[in-house]
Amino acid sequence: MNEDILQINSIKKSFVRNIVNIIGKEENERFFIIDDLDLQIPRGKITALIGGNGAGKTTLFNIISGFLSPDSGDIMYQAENKQMSVIGLLPYKITRLGIGRMFQDDHIFHDMSVLDNMLLADADDFGEFPFISIIYNKKNKIIERERIEKANSIFKELFGEDNPFWKKRDDPAKSLSYGQQRLLGLARLFMGNYDLVLLDEPTAGVNPQIINQILIIIRSMVEEKGVAVFLIEHNMKVVLDLADFCSFMSHGKITAFGTPDDVIGDDEVRRIYLGV
Amino acid sequence: MLLQLLVNGLIIGSIYSIVALGYALIYNTTRIFHIAYASIYMFSSYMLLSFYRNLNIPFIISFIIAIGLTILLSILIEILVYRPLNKKRSSLNVIMISSIGVMIIIINMIAIFYGNETKILNPNISKSISIGNIIITYTQLAQFIVSLILIFIFLIFLKYTKFGIKTRAMRDDSILCKVFGMDINRMRLMFFMLSAFFAAVGSGLVAYDVGMDPYVGMPMLLIAVVALIIGGVGRFEAPILGGFIIGILQSLAVWAFSSRWQDAVTFILLILFLLLRPQGLLGEKKRAV
Amino acid sequence: MNYIFHIIIIINIYIILTVSTNLLVGMANLISLAQAAFYGFGAYLGVLALMILKLPMIPTIFFVMFFTALLSLIIAFPSLRLKGDYFILATLGFQLIVFTILYNWVSVTRGPYGIPGIPAPKLIGIIPISGIIPFLILSSILAGFVIFIFYKLVHSPFGRVLKGLRDDEIAVKSLGRNVTKYKILTFAISSAFIGIAGFIYASYVTYIDPTSFNLDEAIFILAAVLIGGTGNIKGPVVGAVFVVILPELLRFVGFPDSIAANLRQIVYGLALIILMRYRPQGIAGEYKLQ
Repeated sequence: MNEDILQINSIKKSFVRNIVNIIGKEENERFFIIDDLDLQIPRGKITALIGGNGAGKTTLFNIISGFLSPDSGDIMYQAENKQMSVIGLLPYKITRLGIGRMFQDDHIFHDMSVLDNMLLADADDFGEFPFISIIYNKKNKIIERERIEKANSIFKELFGEDNPFWKKRDDPAKSLSYGQQRLLGLARLFMGNYDLVLLDEPTAGVNPQIINQILIIIRSMVEEKGVAVFLIEHNMKVVLDLADFCSFMSHGKITAFGTPDDVIGDDEVRRIYLGV
Repeated sequence: MLLQLLVNGLIIGSIYSIVALGYALIYNTTRIFHIAYASIYMFSSYMLLSFYRNLNIPFIISFIIAIGLTILLSILIEILVYRPLNKKRSSLNVIMISSIGVMIIIINMIAIFYGNETKILNPNISKSISIGNIIITYTQLAQFIVSLILIFIFLIFLKYTKFGIKTRAMRDDSILCKVFGMDINRMRLMFFMLSAFFAAVGSGLVAYDVGMDPYVGMPMLLIAVVALIIGGVGRFEAPILGGFIIGILQSLAVWAFSSRWQDAVTFILLILFLLLRPQGLLGEKKRAV
Repeated sequence: MNYIFHIIIIINIYIILTVSTNLLVGMANLISLAQAAFYGFGAYLGVLALMILKLPMIPTIFFVMFFTALLSLIIAFPSLRLKGDYFILATLGFQLIVFTILYNWVSVTRGPYGIPGIPAPKLIGIIPISGIIPFLILSSILAGFVIFIFYKLVHSPFGRVLKGLRDDEIAVKSLGRNVTKYKILTFAISSAFIGIAGFIYASYVTYIDPTSFNLDEAIFILAAVLIGGTGNIKGPVVGAVFVVILPELLRFVGFPDSIAANLRQIVYGLALIILMRYRPQGIAGEYKLQ
């Protein structure tokens, strides 16, 4: 079985900007945000992706999870027994293959209840086809109950017996604090069946206590479920603390890869990114 | 016969162009689906009716008054309906529905005061000139010439004046524009004024030709929207091109089938472009999905 | 008394229209202007089933539902790929095309001349349903059934997906749900039931012509949903009652018929503006339009 869960090969992505410049002339300019990027993500380990703002990290994530198409290049995903390309697949298909995602701006369902947020994240979508839940009434009731139990046990496991999430399960998600919303975004990933999870700046904007909780949760994902984690981070302490591997992105490529100590200690990285 | 129809199409196409321009001035800059534009268009015809036919004021003066009142109406709509919603950061859907509400109110008030029947501005048969086998009425001539002049002036204004540049900039990013100090609210007012101006002129020219009823605005709005889509949203040359294309294609439809299917041309163009080329003829391949 | 029964029948028809439209507009946040096209299509299909195929009532209902849903797929597949404004435009174009065809294809639909003498639908092929009381019962049963079905749908996992759709489409996609599939299903279900309303209308009034199913009617149905309230079941019901009762009240107060029609439109227009400004979820709805 292949050691790597994801093989990113020669990905290129460019955008065309159409702007009205200061003297009123319109012009087009094409720039490559990702310029021939290669990277291997190891299975069952935590790999960090660091780089300056606007370096293209989120763009890379968008390409992996199917929200953007690259200009050229390929991404091979090692599912069960076979390797397959994820390029050209719709996002929902890529998720079903086992690649989960947490976005930089949450994308939780703010107007839905905390519990509904978890239920809609369930790997099993039985009953979601219209009328099925009405026709198979009894089976639907059983499965719904199981889903709710699953959400409850995830909350308990991650946040303890007396957690605010289960207490607020019928309240709209927007009534949670910002940090709690981020935790919810992570927690719902446990409802699915993933072999690889993409986390985009999971600790951004939250206080140190929540950061700790996030670290514990991510470790639990890896250790207990064997999930590979690929995460974008700006917080170097988190990277050093958590990640097994670290990759540095600049000028549209991966210019350094190794253990966090190696990469963060690298002179070039320190010069470009950390400004040291 | 075909040539006559094509000429007719070209001439009515020029009217479509300026009406479409008026609509584009709102949509390109504010992204508002300005459905009330249909009633602003229709309003001008009825104001012209009141001053010209009912009060017997000379045509040019009546026209100017009608244009002025229409501009006033447009400004009122922006100040009373759109701006408060904008301040509340309402979604575009909410604004569009309010626009529908405005349109319903204006159309029905006109219907109450003037009645639902078709009204005529010019009871006489218009004089005409003939070029070869082609007959062009004086009214059509006026439509064509006025429209072309307006289009020409607008294009110059767009490319070479400071305001024109700001307009094109707002098309791209109105938040950025605010940062650079452009007074958004004042610019919006100007857009609503200009937009109403184009609609009012087109409306008067058409009403003098074929008369009016409270519902003439809707097909015009649709043509404006389709012209924008055909030409390509974002560029102001687009509705101009789109207007002429629709005018000519409609004439072809009359020639090939019958006048009954004239309107169908507009709808079919709409669907075709939405499905096959949503960026329009002049637009770039942007993702509409 | 008959008059009141008649009003109730019309309310029932509009309840079916608004509750169905709400699935698309209020639950999935897909504002559409095509409802009158499906309403009219259902009516003409119903006529086809009753007058030419001579089907009994229950098969007619299934016939209308099935083919109206099929028609909706023709517009759904292409237009659901389109974003926001463009989607509404596509539904608008579709509405207008259907109307133009109904109006101009005189050899099939008799166009503006309309179709008179629509026969009574026959329950189990024998018992004709015609007249006020039978239609009162039929329309009430169907309206009640629609309310029941849609209530179940809204509170099912499917309803949860729709709520997710209108809240954050990207999140739904990233959780492994095929957003396009659910939008298409919503469109189909919504239009199937709108078609039934068309069938009831046609067999009750026994005469139809395309002008009952034009763009004005589409806007009218949409306004009813928006005013009554979006996102739940009681909102559309309130909306249906409101838009049917209001003109009757106006007539009561004494406005001449000619002005009453325009006046009630003005009330709807005002209601839309005021609601969008101060209460975008409508009178009794629970979802504020995004």
